[in-house]
Amino acid sequence: MTSLISNLRTLVFFFLLSAPLCFGQEQDITTQIAALKRMEAMEPDNPSPKYQTVLACLNYAVMNPHAEPTERLLAEAEQTLAQLEQMKNADQSNNCALRGFLYMVRIVQDPATNGQRYYLEVQQDFEKALKLNPDNELAKQLQQKFQEGMRQAGR
Amino acid sequence: MKHLLTTLLVAIAATFIASAQTRIDGKVYDTQGPLIGVNVFVVGTLDGGVTDSLGRFSFTTPKSGELTLRASMLGYEDYTRVADAALLRNLDIRLREKAATIDEVVVTASTYSMGKSAQFKTLDALDVVMSGNSCGDIVAALQILPGTQKVGEDGKLYVRGGDSEECQTFVNGMHVLVPYSTNVEGQNQRGRFSPFLFKGMSFSLGGYSGEYGQALSSVLPMETTDVATGDKLGVSASLVDWNVGGTKAFRRSSLSFNADLTSLGLYNILFPDRNDWTRPYRKLSGEAQFKAELSPRTVLKSYAGYDWTAVGLHQDGRILTMQEHNAYANVTVNSYLSNSCTLFAGIANSTVLNDIDGALVAGDHYHNFRNEVHLKADIRKRFSPAFKLSAGLEDYIRNSQKRYEESGYDLGYNLLAAHLDANWRIVPRLFLNLSLRTENMSGSCEWLLMPRATLSFVPGERFQASLMAGRYSQCPADDPLARSHGQLRQSLADHLILSLQYSTRKTLIRVEPYYKWYHRLPLLAKGQYVPEGYGYSRGFDVFVEDASLVKNLQLTAAYSFNDSERLYLDYTTPRIPSYASRHNLRLTAKYSIGKIILGLADSYASGRVYPAGTTPYYNSLDANITWLAHPKVIVYASLNNILGRTNVYRINDDGSPVTATRDRFFYIGIFISLKNNKAYDISNF
Repeated sequence: MTSLISNLRTLVFFFLLSAPLCFGQEQDITTQIAALKRMEAMEPDNPSPKYQTVLACLNYAVMNPHAEPTERLLAEAEQTLAQLEQMKNADQSNNCALRGFLYMVRIVQDPATNGQRYYLEVQQDFEKALKLNPDNELAKQLQQKFQEGMRQAGR
Repeated sequence: MKHLLTTLLVAIAATFIASAQTRIDGKVYDTQGPLIGVNVFVVGTLDGGVTDSLGRFSFTTPKSGELTLRASMLGYEDYTRVADAALLRNLDIRLREKAATIDEVVVTASTYSMGKSAQFKTLDALDVVMSGNSCGDIVAALQILPGTQKVGEDGKLYVRGGDSEECQTFVNGMHVLVPYSTNVEGQNQRGRFSPFLFKGMSFSLGGYSGEYGQALSSVLPMETTDVATGDKLGVSASLVDWNVGGTKAFRRSSLSFNADLTSLGLYNILFPDRNDWTRPYRKLSGEAQFKAELSPRTVLKSYAGYDWTAVGLHQDGRILTMQEHNAYANVTVNSYLSNSCTLFAGIANSTVLNDIDGALVAGDHYHNFRNEVHLKADIRKRFSPAFKLSAGLEDYIRNSQKRYEESGYDLGYNLLAAHLDANWRIVPRLFLNLSLRTENMSGSCEWLLMPRATLSFVPGERFQASLMAGRYSQCPADDPLARSHGQLRQSLADHLILSLQYSTRKTLIRVEPYYKWYHRLPLLAKGQYVPEGYGYSRGFDVFVEDASLVKNLQLTAAYSFNDSERLYLDYTTPRIPSYASRHNLRLTAKYSIGKIILGLADSYASGRVYPAGTTPYYNSLDANITWLAHPKVIVYASLNNILGRTNVYRINDDGSPVTATRDRFFYIGIFISLKNNKAYDISNF
């Protein structure tokens, strides 16, 4: 129950913070990540703030693949995801979806080099996420977006 | 009136709240100046701020009294200060750069890692298939790397002046007794594993840690792919091989199979060579894998493979016919426990049966049976970001029988080994790997102690310098061991390697000088093998890989200089081993145009010295083309030795040259995915 409330609190907090992100301001994303990191410090054993941190970093990176803070945010996402993958109470399906998302961003950044390198990785991560939880909406949406993107690139 | 009263109350409350807020402000620096984007906050609250372009921060908190302030930023150590809230004004915070942990730094000295895990990827399965002269063979593809010698008559891996037996292969950490399929002299012996089995390879040219033993020169550990996530079914066909394979994925496990027939019968008819074949080369192989995630942190992997190979030809007035059965299986379990602890256990069995008719004279028969059981258990624990330790036990149980006419032997022995590896970050940027391996061969009371050390300086992501030194051992081959009457002991090699590497996202430059001393090599003296052979091998390797010059063009250049000499086996005086060439150069280029990938490779090796003479230099210019014809169809073609040079592999004792049986080799193959939701993914395995 405590965990549920905590997750809901994080979710509400995330949505409150997500509004400025739409404007794509670098300051906003830095502020947002900073706030999420404070939540992480408050609840180090709760995977939810970490999940939201990774998601926020990747959301920004996929929309702004070559922006100045993107590499820093990807490093943040990678480090936080590695911590999530070590947490026993973290949702493995979500972790797989985030891992696939991370590689997907790398492909968006440099399709020529990273496409061949990470293409199968992305597909396998989304497949695994859906195998572990067929109702994982994030994995479903990302997989669909990725396949659409690959189809367009293949034309 | 009521409204006015409410407004007044709100205003009073706001004033009260405002007055209860404590302001915290200051600046954050590192050694270079102000830091932007540092997260400064009161621990346990959401109160905080982020530094601006001048490193300034300012925020308020309703907390008063003693509180904990933290400043954090990726790549820096956290700054924490416990103080009264009122004292946290005009702060000057200096952040210290975070030292990389031992897990973050991958020391690459003397090792070429392939696969997705490597920061700088050199080869993956598709690269192996598309490599200039590999025809899908891992062993041939690895020969674009420096340190390897070109030995055309068998195609095996010879590393830094070492014999091919000195390079050992491991699958998921477990030893493979015979990683090649057999063939007659002058024909390449291909590696027996499909490149699509593996997600990563880590080819170490020397200086490896205590985990690996029984290899005097180098090790090739390969890691099979993880539990499959989707079903696959695929077929492939070429002029020389036909393959079908597939995978069935379950919720937390997967089962794969692969069947392959290789036959040179059709090819020999279309493109005859210099041999008079009575039975063209044929290999039938089957492989299966079962992988399961027993729990989210425990993975079981199993592999079983069987090859049957047969070949026959007219040679020196007799018919030589050979046949081989090679079976290999392993099961491993890897469990990630809590407290940064990993447990590993594995078992592997290799069985190889060889029969040759007309081996030396017409009507004779040669029979050889070899078996190895390898047992291994390891525990790894990370004690801190600066220190981790691993320890393990191994047992090799080997049996061998050989019969030739009336003579032969039965050989059996056991080899026990233990190792301890410590990885330590001494100070930031300076890493030390210390390991100790000990081995005991049954029938001997000697416990070999082999210390190994690697000191690495890693000042950043781009540059690495390492110095490696260590002692390595290997049991002699069965024949000398059986003919030594218990005199032979394990052969020894001492390695000293310096490695310098510079890498960016698209360029890698590596230079590695090395020196190896060999002791206790088997030496034939008065009809009996004694452990009195010795030798040395010294030289340097240079490797350059670049993808920055022209878009979609990837270039590699590998040069190796080797100077070696040894007295072993039936040598009567110390001399350059007959497989060693002083200069080896490989140049490769890969260029992508849309859905076509073009490859060009040139291999050069200077002449090899035999008692009856020196061979001319070896050269082969190879080209290949890959066409991604359809998301489910890949077409690949290659032509080896375009210039048609007749390469001489050896000089016989009577001075006659042994040449390649054909000058050129043409290969065309098609890979079709019958069931797979991923494009351009070879589905066989």
